Amino acid sequence: MTATALLEGRNLRKTYRLGRRTTVEALRGVDVRIDRGEMVAIMGPSGSGKSTLMHILGLLHSPDANHGPRPELSFGGQDMVNLGEGERTKIRAREMGFVFQDFNLVPTLTAIENVMLACDYAGIRGAPARALAAEALALVDLADRADHRPAELSGGEQQRVAIARALVNKPSLILADEPTGNLDSERSAEVLGLLRRFNQEHGQTFILVTHDPDVAAACDRVIRVRDGRIRDQSLSAVPQPLDLEAREAVA
Amino acid sequence: MQQLRNLGRRKLRTSLTILGITIGIWALVVFGSMANKINALVAGGSQFYEGKVTVSAKGAGMGFGSPVDISAGDRVASMGGVDVVVPGVSMLLADEASSMSMSMPQMIRGQVADADRGRETFPMSYASGRALTPADEGSNVAVLGSDIARQHDTKVGDTITLHGEPFQVVGILEPTLTAPDTTVVVPLEAAQRLYVKTLPPLVAAELDPATLATGFTVYPKPGTDPETIATEIRATAPDLEPVTAKDFNSQIGSATSILNSILVGIALISLAVGGLSVINTMAMSVAERTREIGIKRAIGGGRLRIVRELVTESALIGFLGGATGLVLGAVLVTVVNEAGRSSGTVLFQLTTGTALTAVGFSTVLGALAGLIPAMHAARLDPVAALRYE
Ligand SMILES: Nc1ncnc2c1ncn2[C@@H]1O[C@H](COP(=O)(O)OP(=O)(O)OP(=O)(O)O)[C@@H](O)[C@H]1O
Ligand SMILES: [Mg+2]
Repeated sequence: MTATALLEGRNLRKTYRLGRRTTVEALRGVDVRIDRGEMVAIMGPSGSGKSTLMHILGLLHSPDANHGPRPELSFGGQDMVNLGEGERTKIRAREMGFVFQDFNLVPTLTAIENVMLACDYAGIRGAPARALAAEALALVDLADRADHRPAELSGGEQQRVAIARALVNKPSLILADEPTGNLDSERSAEVLGLLRRFNQEHGQTFILVTHDPDVAAACDRVIRVRDGRIRDQSLSAVPQPLDLEAREAVA
Repeated sequence: MQQLRNLGRRKLRTSLTILGITIGIWALVVFGSMANKINALVAGGSQFYEGKVTVSAKGAGMGFGSPVDISAGDRVASMGGVDVVVPGVSMLLADEASSMSMSMPQMIRGQVADADRGRETFPMSYASGRALTPADEGSNVAVLGSDIARQHDTKVGDTITLHGEPFQVVGILEPTLTAPDTTVVVPLEAAQRLYVKTLPPLVAAELDPATLATGFTVYPKPGTDPETIATEIRATAPDLEPVTAKDFNSQIGSATSILNSILVGIALISLAVGGLSVINTMAMSVAERTREIGIKRAIGGGRLRIVRELVTESALIGFLGGATGLVLGAVLVTVVNEAGRSSGTVLFQLTTGTALTAVGFSTVLGALAGLIPAMHAARLDPVAALRYE
């Protein structure tokens, strides 16, 4: 089985400048390859550069190009490093889905309007967008909460709305930063099961930043980051479907 | 609409910002309407003096006041370039100047109809009835200006009393927004008689009404500049005071343009304050919504889109403020005009142009004020915005 690369990065570096002298080297030269249809976890201690890596892979930040070896990043075979912000925004809108750790939804919009926003940015509006959004909300089991504002939803429900929004355009890549960080283990397993199902049924690629070993264990592969470098990107030890079913059975 | 919902998020703050614009636009509408009215008066006056020399007895101001002998007109008629000289008698309609008024004073004016033989350029159209004719000399008939007709609730065929004498109304003029609106036109002979009545009895006894005039309208021959005639009158007839369109424009025109600038300036200053408060409000809104802007940008909302949403929102603030200011200004203008109408004092003229300009201006002002915070929002780094506390 020869997998094709969806994302390929080389020499990815990111240095944050705090003051005149102080800099933080969040990423110190990372080579990474994510294949189509993979479900990958990024793990590591706090401050190790996991979110920084995810933001670069998700085209939210550019890798540093002004020092060290030239960075390379390709998505679907296309160069991303020299792309303008407008093009990157378009790719984020059409080909990527995002779930962030805590603040995900626009507070003035209802659940379904939040999901429709992603359709809108991808160029789908009106009745077709509403139908797609309703469908996505039904997938995360929130059809009856469509007209609730975020303030009227629990933390877990908000997270599921964000997942519905990330999935609604059927993007090839979904990036999630601590998608289960705010959830109890039961909810967390449920969300994870949902992501896994999409990964298997639609062949979508998932990158999950997580602290949770259970989440990592449910993925095909774990990228371990420490001090801005990749330590290890081994395949998961345990064959996951079994593991997941076992946990779901418990829940 | 999402922008309306966003305005509702901070109701007090939004309302206060809208109020700021409302006050500015209110001032613009009220002062603008006042300037319109003044401009119409001035434009009318300027047109009235165009193409002729209006001569009055010295010290009498603009065509009314102390009398001269009608033969003074013959002296003027003999000057070079003069075509026709039409004698006239003008006086105040009221027995004494009573009401303090921004508008033109109400006047009675008498001259022999058609004596100008079609040279008159100031357009007159009749709402009802007819113009005076030379045949009217010797009878008590009158043509009323629109304001006077409205104030006295008079129609053609009614009788109006002027300085104690009854006059039959034979015509009523259309509004001109200038002097004719507040003028009663009567035959020359009747005006001379009425004029004598306004003088103290001792002075009156000395005068023959038939030789009286308070001024002359001098029409130059084609190709002759009225200024040339005015200069000659100034040099040779010390008892006469000529006024040309140029004199009028330099005296009244420049004064009113300063007044206009002051009025509009006041309104613009209050609008600048309103505009700054829109910038302030939008900057606060952007700061409050930093994280949600971060989300929108992260999931693929373009910069232009963010700018558009915020600018629409602030344009809406400007529009709502402008519309409210227009309505309140229109109410004030209408109420004051209606109240003043009975005394013939119409202070304001609210034109469609002024109304549209006011609302258009406030909307554009709102949009521009929102542009700075919106550009700031669009330039935010989505990740930094997401983490913003
Ligand atoms: N905007 C920033 N400015 C300055 N330093 C930053 C910024 N963002 C991240 N850092 C620093 O970069 C390093 C890596 O941050 P990153 O957010 O990638 O860590 P992380 O692995 O996601 O940590 P956590 O698990 O706590 O989320 C940290 O030391 C952090 O302090
Ligand atoms: Mg992180």
